[in-house]
Amino acid sequence: MVPVNLEGLIGWVRSLPLASRGAESEIRLGTWMGVEAVFKLRIPKAYMHPRLDHSLRMARTRREAKLLARAHSLGAKVPLLLGVFPSAGLIVMERIRGKVLRDHITSGEYKSDEFKMAGEVLGKLHSGWISHGDPTTSNYIVSRGGVYLIDFGLADKATSIEDLAVDIHLFRRAVESTHAPLAREILDHFLEGYLAATGSLGNRVVERAEEIRLRGRYVEERRRTVWGG
Amino acid sequence: MASAATQSSSHRENGSADLIVLGIESTAHTFGVGIVSSRDPYILADARRQYKPKSGGILPREVAAFFSNVAGEVLAEALSQAGLTLKDVDGIAIALGPGMGPALRIGATVARALASRYRKPLVPVNHAVAHIEVARFVTGLRDPVAIYVAGGNTSILSYSEGRYRVFGETLDIALGNLLDTFAREVGIAPPYVSGGKHAVDKCAEDGRYIDGLPYVVKGQDVSYSGLLTAALRMAKGGARLGDICYTLREIAFSSIVEVGERCMAHTRRDSVVLTGGVAANKVLAMKVASMAESRRARHGVVPPRLAGDNGVMIALTGALALAHGITVRVEEAIIRQRWRVDRVDVPWYPSTLRDLSGG
Repeated sequence: MVPVNLEGLIGWVRSLPLASRGAESEIRLGTWMGVEAVFKLRIPKAYMHPRLDHSLRMARTRREAKLLARAHSLGAKVPLLLGVFPSAGLIVMERIRGKVLRDHITSGEYKSDEFKMAGEVLGKLHSGWISHGDPTTSNYIVSRGGVYLIDFGLADKATSIEDLAVDIHLFRRAVESTHAPLAREILDHFLEGYLAATGSLGNRVVERAEEIRLRGRYVEERRRTVWGG
Repeated sequence: MASAATQSSSHRENGSADLIVLGIESTAHTFGVGIVSSRDPYILADARRQYKPKSGGILPREVAAFFSNVAGEVLAEALSQAGLTLKDVDGIAIALGPGMGPALRIGATVARALASRYRKPLVPVNHAVAHIEVARFVTGLRDPVAIYVAGGNTSILSYSEGRYRVFGETLDIALGNLLDTFAREVGIAPPYVSGGKHAVDKCAEDGRYIDGLPYVVKGQDVSYSGLLTAALRMAKGGARLGDICYTLREIAFSSIVEVGERCMAHTRRDSVVLTGGVAANKVLAMKVASMAESRRARHGVVPPRLAGDNGVMIALTGALALAHGITVRVEEAIIRQRWRVDRVDVPWYPSTLRDLSGG
């Protein structure tokens, strides 16, 4: 049974089996009103002032839930938002059963169509001007219902083509570093799906992503002040 | 530019494993000369002079003038501390960057002159790499995530595939620069540091946390310029200075520690070191300790004397490089104001100075 007050709820969530622990949150598995669910709980940070910590967790939880819901309404295959409790730092969402795309590729079970579907999901997000922030093959799940994009912890509203292009760049970089021999094939199919979902916007984003790659952003171009101290 | 010449030291040819390197630091406000040995007690000399402006900030030209005045006496002091002459040294290590051009040129000129005159191999050292190497040496944490915070640098670094990689960094101004600029603009500095405490820390002593200042972490990066602007606006608007100092520091420190935490989770490291001039800050050190504890990770803080810019860290990095045949020809030893840490091979990793003595 799910208790009704917030403290009881958090206690109950923390009693659920832990699936993974990230830098800022715990992922636990359980059921929510009869639905198999993932519970993402942002953990207080002891090194921060409690007021700062609380306001950050609240704002981030709210933003993540909002963007997840918006992505869903854009028709992107993302987990359905089931509940959000900003002051507790808790998001409850649908559990997508399946295999992480990274492992799926490594084990050789992949089909090229799946990369196309992965591109399509990101494309749908981008056509609604949402950037994901961390679109690596670890954040895609291949399930019976298709390929899902998860973890909106670093997602944000995009305000420029550059914001969106960074996603493409991140995906490319992740694929090249994790699945080097298949990188070309994966990227070709991924971009095919991405462009089908985005149209002319997508072309501009992909062009900009190529510029980012060529100018070696994240290596050369970032500004530093000249002080050596 | 680092040609891999094979200039082994005379000591080693004589059958001794002892390697002695003199290092010169002149990237910012400190002219430092350090001498290290590959044998206990490792650090043989640590001499330095720091340029302190009477008013305003640090002007590169004035620093350079100050350096050229003190270079000779700092060098002499280091040699006398070690009880050595330049003939006893196996190599001259020089921080060629990153840093302020006019300041770098003084150190580089001295190093080139010494290398030519005494026919010693010249070893190019990247200043940021040196901050990590001294941290690995003094803390004994061999494979850490490094939180490198100083007047002009703020980045989270960890080793991967032959080099230190920048996991995250400031998108605009550095942490030390943020604190210094705020202190100067509101009239509580210079002096920026007195009695081992920064002006902002002193001012924060009677402060409380207040709402309204922006906390900006974008993925793996921090941004401080918006925080500085907002804090200055708040000060102008008449808010209590103690509260602003407290909150500014709280937000600035928390955000860089948070990026450090993200790096540890991402790279699956179980240790973290705090290095660079701002590492001397007790409040920041406590936050790093608390973050490490919550992850059941180890942590180390470089003691203030070696955390700020110094010649010792240049010498000890130079010793590691020299032992791996990394030298540069005198005519090619040009300064590099924007020499990024991730352009430098560190073939000795995860060895430290302590491991050389076995050879």
